[in-house]
Amino acid sequence: MERFDLLKNIIKTSSEARGITEYELYYSEDASISAETYRDEISAFSSSVGGMLLYRCIVDGKIGYASTEALDEAEMDALVARAAVNAACIEKDEEAIIFGGATKEDYHTVPAVQFTMPTAAVIRDEAMKCRDIIYAADKRMADGTECGAFAGQSTVRLFNSKGLDLGISVGNCGEYLQALLDNGEEKQYDYDFLYNHFGEDNREELVSIADKVVAGADAKFGAGLVKTGKYNVIFDHKQMKAMLSTFLSTFYAENAQKGLSLLKGKVGETIAADCITITDNPFYEKNPMQIPFDGEGVPTRCKNVIENGVLKTLLYNLTSAKKDGVETTGNASRSAASIGTRAYSFYINPGEMTRDELFAKAGNGIYVTEMKGFHAGANAVTGDFSIESAGFLIEDGKIGAPVKSFTVAGNFFELLKQISAIDNVLEMKAPGFSQIGSPDVLVPGMSIAGE
Amino acid sequence: MISKALLEEVLACAMSTGADFAEIFAENTRTNSVYMIDGKVDSITDHTVSGVGIRALLGVRCVSASTIDLTREGLLRCAAQVADVISDKPTVLDVHLTERRFGDIHPIKLVPDTAKKQTKIDLLKAGYFAAKNYHEDISQVTANLLDVDHNILIANSDGLLTEDRQIRTRMAVSAIASKNGENQSGSDAPGRRMGLELFDMISPESIGTEAARSAMVNLNAGYCPAGKMTVAIENGFGGVIFHEACGHSLEATSVAKGMSQMAGKLGQKIANEKVTAIDDGTIANAWGSFNIDDEGNPSQKKILIENGILKSYMIDKLNGRRMGMEANGSSRRQSYEYDPTSRMSNTYIAAGNDRNEDIISSIEYGLYAKKMGGGSVNPVTGAFNFAVSEGYLIRNGKICEPVRGASLIGTGSEILQNIDMVGTDMATGQGMCGSASGSIPTDVGQPLIRVSEITVGGR
Repeated sequence: MERFDLLKNIIKTSSEARGITEYELYYSEDASISAETYRDEISAFSSSVGGMLLYRCIVDGKIGYASTEALDEAEMDALVARAAVNAACIEKDEEAIIFGGATKEDYHTVPAVQFTMPTAAVIRDEAMKCRDIIYAADKRMADGTECGAFAGQSTVRLFNSKGLDLGISVGNCGEYLQALLDNGEEKQYDYDFLYNHFGEDNREELVSIADKVVAGADAKFGAGLVKTGKYNVIFDHKQMKAMLSTFLSTFYAENAQKGLSLLKGKVGETIAADCITITDNPFYEKNPMQIPFDGEGVPTRCKNVIENGVLKTLLYNLTSAKKDGVETTGNASRSAASIGTRAYSFYINPGEMTRDELFAKAGNGIYVTEMKGFHAGANAVTGDFSIESAGFLIEDGKIGAPVKSFTVAGNFFELLKQISAIDNVLEMKAPGFSQIGSPDVLVPGMSIAGE
Repeated sequence: MISKALLEEVLACAMSTGADFAEIFAENTRTNSVYMIDGKVDSITDHTVSGVGIRALLGVRCVSASTIDLTREGLLRCAAQVADVISDKPTVLDVHLTERRFGDIHPIKLVPDTAKKQTKIDLLKAGYFAAKNYHEDISQVTANLLDVDHNILIANSDGLLTEDRQIRTRMAVSAIASKNGENQSGSDAPGRRMGLELFDMISPESIGTEAARSAMVNLNAGYCPAGKMTVAIENGFGGVIFHEACGHSLEATSVAKGMSQMAGKLGQKIANEKVTAIDDGTIANAWGSFNIDDEGNPSQKKILIENGILKSYMIDKLNGRRMGMEANGSSRRQSYEYDPTSRMSNTYIAAGNDRNEDIISSIEYGLYAKKMGGGSVNPVTGAFNFAVSEGYLIRNGKICEPVRGASLIGTGSEILQNIDMVGTDMATGQGMCGSASGSIPTDVGQPLIRVSEITVGGR
């Protein structure tokens, strides 16, 4: 932080000396540390201290960018000079904007995060503790059983010539346990995480996670095949989350404007089932990484993107909002040479039904708990997907035998409309400025290709 | 960048708990890129990467840390973190560094970072408009001019201190041709480990023209039929199949852990006797060349396969320890934030004796794959699939009408055996190879080759 304030003043002086009146400085600083185990020792350990300064300025109505990881005082004047030269080269017709339209009161107060980075020794000990716990949980552990511990801390500052001077610091830590069970005939795995709970008093919690992971892997042994056909499918929350992540970019206005999203022109229309309300919330209360400003310094806000099936808004930054003649939603992201779009805690709101009631409603069908290869098997532009999956049969409203090696195919935009019910559990454990979540969802009549 | 005395102090700190080897990799990289779309300069990336990666080894255990804090305190903190984890036997070691110079076999004439922005924009526009004005059906063009000035310093506990400056330049033009509501694309993206003098050798106009020509061929092509065929794959980027389907399997990264289909096969015949394959980081000014690798070893020319016999792997220090073999100038990393590992440089199938006309005329019915696109490979099984970005049917020994939508499907071991004619005109194509140690520039290459039988996906 002190470093930033020093550099900020140099940049300010340097910009003003060049007659630059509109400029912005975006600074990020992060530290991370992690260890992972293999057999009975630490197999990998890494730590990093990173950061960069992203500067942009407006010269003759054009905006230029320059950025550096070399945070020396001596570099700062050159950074300003480079951005100014770059601005003069830009030819596109797009209004250059540095944001100044907010005062302190416009920014949501987020909970302050008190976080101290653990030492390398703590990380190593946590990883080895998880390793010992997972191996004690079952005798069938095979090579490929891995545990790890990690911690990260990041700081963002944004300062501009329009009077903004914003900052936030966050941090988190966690462990993961992955079991690979070998029953002599086949190997199956499962994994889970524990976040923000280091120390001797987490042992009980880790043991219960290890037991759950072992049970999860054990349940997959002896999986059978399913016949090709149409089935009632329940996507578990992890698979629905992966699906939403894959198609998240279709909710970005800039993609709609470029013809890359089928949601173009759909605001106000019903695009999903009544039971679907999707919220984008920068202040999701269980998330320790909340953020009050976006990549352009605009105050962030909570909004429903889909409300009872109706598309209420796309996600905007200042430039895409200007093009559509609307207000920005405060969803700008910042990278070295451009402003893009991002989501915050983006989730399908939970419903009323318990998980048991959801399974009862499904009656007979398939519970999909593993889907692989979204990057290749799904097309964000068309919405089509065909994904290799595994899971369990649903028989008379109860979880039945494991099944594997089938594909689930459909279209994301049609699936949104076909959802017939969701349960009442929303779990978003992984902290992050961006996170995605969903309850379990029931979709009748999905196409399954099996044997 | 960092004084010799400080480097010695930091190495001693990294070794202070009993590591048997420690290394510092310091980097300062300037990246410039200008991007055009809709006939206008749209954005300019102007970024400096600056930092240090420190790693320590003890046997085959590896611990690493990186930082952007280049102060004495920052570097010592980074080294202490590595020492804390690698072992716990207090060790006092006096590291003495001796600077070594390996010479510059890749001379640069025009350093891009010092050229005027307008000079680069003029070059880019020449490429852009050559594509746009090629034909009225060319509906959109994007173009990018990238230059990178990558400065590295390596110091290690064996006493090595060395540096290299690696400048590279590349222009990429992509053209879209449209007719009757249908879009087809074509692209060209040559690059070299040189400065702006690249464009004295390859004109920007030729790059734009090639992208547009290929898009127009595809716009007027029908679909490729599917089935097993004899295929002639053209030189240049056609070598991507060898790179993906075989090259990655020869990297110690996958060989050392027995993950590779090529593990344990040194001295065995793994390919048709027509196949000799080479990885050579010493080719002057080639895209994947360097003076020293990222562990500070001089680049080498390695014969991987000679007349079908597997001769060597690409080996880095850590995996060399696992395999009981010496590193051979193959260690590479995208930046200080990645751990180095064995990677390819310029990897190609060497020229053979078959004349191009004989290769084509030998094929009664098959596919001529003039340009290859992207693809994927499973490194364990060697199964691959690649898109043909410009292809033609061959009938009765003659190249006939263009076809689109073709892909080549097979496994590495199978295609190596089936390469039964190898032409004389080796040429290379440029790519960015992504793997464990990040994204690095590599050349792929081959002469025109004949694959006696391979599955062609089409419709």
